Amino acid sequence: MERNLQKNGLINAVILLGVGVAGFIVARYVNSLAGLVSVVFIAIGLLVAAVSWFQMRLEESERLERFDLDELARGRAGSALFETKDSEIFPAQRSREQFERFFVPIFTTLLCIGQAAAAFFLWRWLSQPALAVDLKEPRMAIFFFVAVFFGLLLLGLFSANRARLENDRLLRPGAAYMLLNAWLCLAVGGGAIVVACGGLRADFYVARGLCVLLALTAVESLVMLLLEMYRPRVKGKAERPLYESRLVGLLGQPQGLVTTAAQALDYQFGFKVSETWFYRLFVEKALAVLICLQIAVLFLSTCVVFIEAGEQGLLERCGRRVEGRALLEPGPHLKLPWPLDHVYRFRTQQIQSFEIGTTPEAAKEESNVVLWTVAHTKEDNFLVANRLPPSAEDSNTNNAEGGSRRTPPVSLVTGTIPVQYQITDLPAWAYNNEDAPALLEDLATREVVRYLVGADMNEIMSVGRLEAAEQLRQRIQTAADGRKLGAKIVSVGLQDLHPPVKVAPDYEKVIGAIHSKEAKILAARADEIKTNALAEAKATNIINVANANRIRIESDALAQAALFTNQIPAYKAAPSVYVQRAYLQALAASTAGSRKYVLLTTNTKDVLQFDLQDKIRADILTDVGVKK
Amino acid sequence: MNRNPLILFTGFLIGVIVVLLLFTFQVRKSEVAVVTTFGKVSDQYTEPGLKGRVPWPIQKVYKFDQRVQNFEDKQTEGLTRDGFNLIASVYVGWKITEVTNFFPTFAGYSEPIQEAERNLERLLSHAKSAVFGKHPLSDIVSANDKGTNFVAIENEILSAVQTELRAQRYGIEIDFLGIKRLQIPESVTQNVFERMTSERKVLADRSQYEGESQAAIIKSEAERKAGEMMARAESEATRIRGEAEATAAESLKVFNQNPDLAILIFQLNALESSLREHSILVFDPNTPPFNLFRGVSPNLLNPK
Repeated sequence: MERNLQKNGLINAVILLGVGVAGFIVARYVNSLAGLVSVVFIAIGLLVAAVSWFQMRLEESERLERFDLDELARGRAGSALFETKDSEIFPAQRSREQFERFFVPIFTTLLCIGQAAAAFFLWRWLSQPALAVDLKEPRMAIFFFVAVFFGLLLLGLFSANRARLENDRLLRPGAAYMLLNAWLCLAVGGGAIVVACGGLRADFYVARGLCVLLALTAVESLVMLLLEMYRPRVKGKAERPLYESRLVGLLGQPQGLVTTAAQALDYQFGFKVSETWFYRLFVEKALAVLICLQIAVLFLSTCVVFIEAGEQGLLERCGRRVEGRALLEPGPHLKLPWPLDHVYRFRTQQIQSFEIGTTPEAAKEESNVVLWTVAHTKEDNFLVANRLPPSAEDSNTNNAEGGSRRTPPVSLVTGTIPVQYQITDLPAWAYNNEDAPALLEDLATREVVRYLVGADMNEIMSVGRLEAAEQLRQRIQTAADGRKLGAKIVSVGLQDLHPPVKVAPDYEKVIGAIHSKEAKILAARADEIKTNALAEAKATNIINVANANRIRIESDALAQAALFTNQIPAYKAAPSVYVQRAYLQALAASTAGSRKYVLLTTNTKDVLQFDLQDKIRADILTDVGVKK
Repeated sequence: MNRNPLILFTGFLIGVIVVLLLFTFQVRKSEVAVVTTFGKVSDQYTEPGLKGRVPWPIQKVYKFDQRVQNFEDKQTEGLTRDGFNLIASVYVGWKITEVTNFFPTFAGYSEPIQEAERNLERLLSHAKSAVFGKHPLSDIVSANDKGTNFVAIENEILSAVQTELRAQRYGIEIDFLGIKRLQIPESVTQNVFERMTSERKVLADRSQYEGESQAAIIKSEAERKAGEMMARAESEATRIRGEAEATAAESLKVFNQNPDLAILIFQLNALESSLREHSILVFDPNTPPFNLFRGVSPNLLNPK
């Protein structure tokens, strides 16, 4: 019986080795991250199974040794001079003791370190941004890991039951790891099934979960090592292997979880919760049924599909379109369950849009003002032509024969060109092209580029903008119809087309110059008005002055003539007197305010110096406050 | 162990699903499938539906999208016939037409479609450079009435690539091709910006100097008119002065009655006018009336 148990242990180890190698190869081939992590668990299980098998051999050797010695002791009863029970004469026992005293703790310590290191490096490896997470061959992964699950489950259950029946503590660890690895393989296979159904990152998440489990086993090993130091030794009692993991045992036999939970509830509440009708009915008996019912309901829920407003659905049965029901309108619909029927949804009634030319930047889009001189998007420049002047065009035509046409001037424009469209023929949209939205965007971009390289920049930014938008819409529609896209182009907008930010200020300067020109002209007109008005006034003044002088002259002349007429008789009455009188009157009147010097001495030769400078009058000095 | 019907049913259902997943596969309307048995192509399916297979590793199924694939090549720089640097990218719509040729060529790659597109990109790049090199820039960019040869250039590239594809027997065909982007290199872009700036500067300067010119003309006109006005006014004033002199001259005849007296009176008036403002006069004692300082005439003291 013991040899059978040893054989069982060896078989467990060999199977784990084979499964580990095969699992590694398959996981690498299909790029299954969870598969690779599960191989680490298989490797740990292999080590544990190998050590426990070796320990079983040592115990078997010890048992045989004791049996032989007992036989020898019965044959030599009373003939020996000295009887000794020294353990030095039991080498197998000594080997076993030393193995358990030294090797097992060291092995468990190394196992703990290995588990922790594996968990750390695997987690770091899974966290790499460049890690490829797509499963290449989901079906291969499903086939292999589900098959391995069944194999390991059967063998593990056999070993576990045998260990329980034979009460062999050394077969338990290997059996527990067999069962744990079986469930892990099922989890990996389940992840591959989810990937096959469209959940592309399921395998990655399962791998992450297994890393966490590996870390927990490392923690448990460490705790066990620490507790082992303080555990009291009872002589004669078989010790539990230090490398046997209770966590692995619990996870390997899930029904043990229920039992453990029941015991924990009983202990916590102080009475036998596990024996109440509620617990027995819903946890022990109905749990499996409830889980299965949930799976069944989940499966049957795939028979109903709800198409939202604004959507349409394409129904395929085993890849074919269903006759008469290929197009599903908004509302609830029944269909065959997965994986037979699939529904692919598309937004058909909604107006969809994309933008050509620029990548809008969210931070800059918050501004309410869009200026040519301030970048509001990441600019993408389009080539646009400039219409040559007629003379240059003639020159180009004349030179065309010689092949030396002048290179036309090109300019650049930038701007966001929104294109709005609506899906009108869903089957054409879905089945004619692999990526219809991308194709429509390519067609639209091509039409925009083609239009702009043949248009004049100044026209398209001014008078030709509206017409250009309509022409573009028609061209894009024609191109889409030619490719049988099944879409209707609703509108194309050119409102944001403008010169690049770098040259936009120069466009604004032209407007400034135009206004500056008008300002100068208006200033000149104002000057003209002023000049003319002043000249007119001055001219009028000159004429008025002349008229006034004329009247004055005429009046004076008449007055003087009249005066003279009256002076003649007076003169005739006393000519000399009249003359003197007139002279003296004139002298007195004219010299009244003048400074007069009268030289009375005539017989001397005096030199008189006259200060002819004008002096400031005293009253002026007084007025300005200057003191004498 | 209790044989709960629901558990049995669920287990049976899961088993059926696993068997379906392992022993069947679906081919969609948009797909074409190739089945290999131990590596050798054994079947190909172009019609949609549920198909049977033997699980891996005996048979493997390869599915390819048979719709038109959309692919855009990289933007590459080339020269036009007149030596103009141009950066262009094209997009193509291609699809698998002969899966028996396509599969052996690309099935060994982890991503056959992407590998096919890489090969296609090489052909496109070569054809694009060749075709653009045969055309001047004016065939591509021109606002004049004759337009551009945009479509012809696209057709030339398409033709070149299709010819090459047929020769290579990749099992794919190009449905359509279009020029998606046309750009110029960054260094040339700066030169284009300078030209655009200069063009705007010409317009701005034109406006500025036109304004100055017109302003000068207006000012000159205004001054001319003002000058004319002033001249006319001066002329009128002179004429009026002349008329006044003529009228005043009529009065001079009166003075002919006693010319000496008239001259004396005029002299006295002039003297009076000229000595009005701050004059300084130096008289000798003989000048009347200052001769009185030398004494009065005895004749005047003894009147008879």
